[in-house]
Amino acid sequence: MWAAFRAVFAAIFADRAAALLLLGAPLLYAVLYPSAYAGEIVEDVPVVVVDMDRTAASRDLIIRAGATQQSRIVASLASPAEAERWLASDRASAAILIPEGYGRAIAQGRSGQIVLTGSGAHLLRSSSALGGIGAALGSTAREAAFEQARAAGPAAPPAMQLVTRPLFNTREGYGAAVFPGVAFVIVHQSLLLGLALLAGTARERLGAPLSVTPAQFAGLGLAAAMIAMVQVCWFAGFVFWWQDYPRGAAPLWQVLAGGMLFVAATAALVLLLASLFRTRERPLQLGLGISLPLFFLSGLTWPAAATPAPVLWLARLFPTTPGLELMVGLNQMGGSLADYAAALFNLAVLAAVFGALAFWRWTSPRGLPALPVRAARDLSGSA
Amino acid sequence: MSVFARISNGFARELRFLARNPWDLALLTWLPLALCAIIAWQLSAGVIRDLPVALVDQERGALARDVAIRIEGAPGLRLAYHAQDMAEAERMARAGAVEAIVLIPREVTARAFEGRGQITLYVNAAHSAASSTIQRELAGIIGAANGRVAIEQMAAVLPPGTVRAAPLAASSAIAFNAPASQEQQLVSLLHPALLHLLFMLAVVSAFGRELRDASVAEWRPDLAAMAGKAAPYVLAFMVWGALATGYLAGLRGWTLAGGPALLMTGYLAMFVAYTGVALLLVGATRCMSQSLSLTGLYAGASFAFAGAIFPVDQASSFAKVWAEILPFTHFARLIALDWVSGAEASVAVAPLLPLAIIMLVTGVPGAWLFLRASRRPQDWGRR
Repeated sequence: MWAAFRAVFAAIFADRAAALLLLGAPLLYAVLYPSAYAGEIVEDVPVVVVDMDRTAASRDLIIRAGATQQSRIVASLASPAEAERWLASDRASAAILIPEGYGRAIAQGRSGQIVLTGSGAHLLRSSSALGGIGAALGSTAREAAFEQARAAGPAAPPAMQLVTRPLFNTREGYGAAVFPGVAFVIVHQSLLLGLALLAGTARERLGAPLSVTPAQFAGLGLAAAMIAMVQVCWFAGFVFWWQDYPRGAAPLWQVLAGGMLFVAATAALVLLLASLFRTRERPLQLGLGISLPLFFLSGLTWPAAATPAPVLWLARLFPTTPGLELMVGLNQMGGSLADYAAALFNLAVLAAVFGALAFWRWTSPRGLPALPVRAARDLSGSA
Repeated sequence: MSVFARISNGFARELRFLARNPWDLALLTWLPLALCAIIAWQLSAGVIRDLPVALVDQERGALARDVAIRIEGAPGLRLAYHAQDMAEAERMARAGAVEAIVLIPREVTARAFEGRGQITLYVNAAHSAASSTIQRELAGIIGAANGRVAIEQMAAVLPPGTVRAAPLAASSAIAFNAPASQEQQLVSLLHPALLHLLFMLAVVSAFGRELRDASVAEWRPDLAAMAGKAAPYVLAFMVWGALATGYLAGLRGWTLAGGPALLMTGYLAMFVAYTGVALLLVGATRCMSQSLSLTGLYAGASFAFAGAIFPVDQASSFAKVWAEILPFTHFARLIALDWVSGAEASVAVAPLLPLAIIMLVTGVPGAWLFLRASRRPQDWGRR
């Protein structure tokens, strides 16, 4: 068993591509990926104004809208048509339209109407700009109410206020919403591509399906699990802290236990898939493309409530789906293992089923009955 | 041999190879289809609906019942639980059973008459798409409840003439994407994000394989033969690009605001630019497995850097430069201009220029390096 365990590491250090995938990728991605999200919140979205009122009240509104963190006034335009052209050509993400009569309406004690338009090309950017302008409008409205009160008595205060508090990702950064999940897709892909590349290489040299003893298989499994566990600790223990993402909300032993179950299911699937490849480069060709679908299937960005049921079932076949739910829950949301019983069960079933299939593939000397034919075809093709 | 004959020879030679090798063929046939279909199916709901919400009602009055009915009535929300207290509701949020908690505190109705009523919304900010939908829906619900309180109750207790509409009213809208559907935004970007990665893997494999297997010796390529070799891949992925566009624009009804001609030109320019990068990687490493690993690093995280969903404007200058050298970033800009907002053609063609620059800067040295390696036997057979 230990000979097989050591052999895996010897193979990794002797193979530059495998070392890059298993050791280099987690290091590179820990820097590369968060750098895209380093802005964390949306700031200074370009906004255009069309002021057709040209009164003190409208100028005041524009100054306040420009003074918010989320938006930046880039131009003052003459007509709504011009504003639409700015939005269409992507030079601005939102527009404020102040129609004629706005100032007079406020002075007369009526409601001053304005129109806010966000660009559909960037939903997140335009909605946060509109949110910021909305806050600016609130303060304008309070002052307008004060002005009006001198003439007409106080207006009705808004009876109820909605206060929104973010749970779990309390700074509402988008890197903090995405990367704590992406990290586990990286672990999955790094292990899959790295080990399948090694297995494909070994099989190519042997010219026949690999076959190991049960003890050697245990050594392989242990090596795979150890590499993945080191990566999980690297991301959950260091990178989340270094990038200052929400982290370590659950007790340490629970994070470790959850991480081990994710690692077990991942290693089992990786060993099963690794036994299928006959050429060194094939896992990279076929496996790199699935990262993005894996992340979306996990349901972190697109909610399960809006996903069709068959897709949800498909998603449960990959360790990343329950793994992300469990690890984001433990790391970022402060849940305990008991809160994620379904995800734990899902991972345990995957680990058992994939593990059993992988054991059968690696230890039975011939492999699948149809395999020799396909192997011969593949060898002739790649020769 | 004429140029045309050499191109068609290269083309026919590649087709013969693909016909013999089903797994290489998979990379441009069923794999793009399967991955694009899963993403399209998952996001087919478009607008997020029926997100589960827990209501914590500490007051047990008419207001809570009113809010409960309005939550049920809102298309984006579903009242999943009446929780007894905050602790129970938070447990549900951790376990993922609800995406948000609405807290109606004691005596809120009495406080509303003083204008101090407060309803608190806790949203799971770890799930970004869901939390923004919930905030928008609940702001509408509270606004409507406010209107009812103002008319029915406050008008009865306050002296006549004092109940007036609020001094400022804003109507906001999203231009070019009225229902604020995330299907158009996400799917229109995710499909090309998948396609460009698979395309680059296929092209890197096609050229890298020739050096690995030393088949360049028999092939003896020149520029025309290389163009012929790349052509089947460009053609196949142009077909996938057209089908993906047709699905979203035709079948799902997200009409192209600009025109299909410019979008397809953009697809062509993007694929040719990635061909240049693929040649550069293969020519520089002369090793298929390393080029494939680098492809994963270069094109695997494009979606994060394109700045279409989360802006990269505030990210580090490294991230901004990295985004600019990814052809996908420029293609995403083209989608925003041509598909979503329908900018004038003179504006919308702008992203084609950087694509052409990337194509030249990578393609010229890439082709030169590959041709040089194709004549140097010591560069062949590297793994």
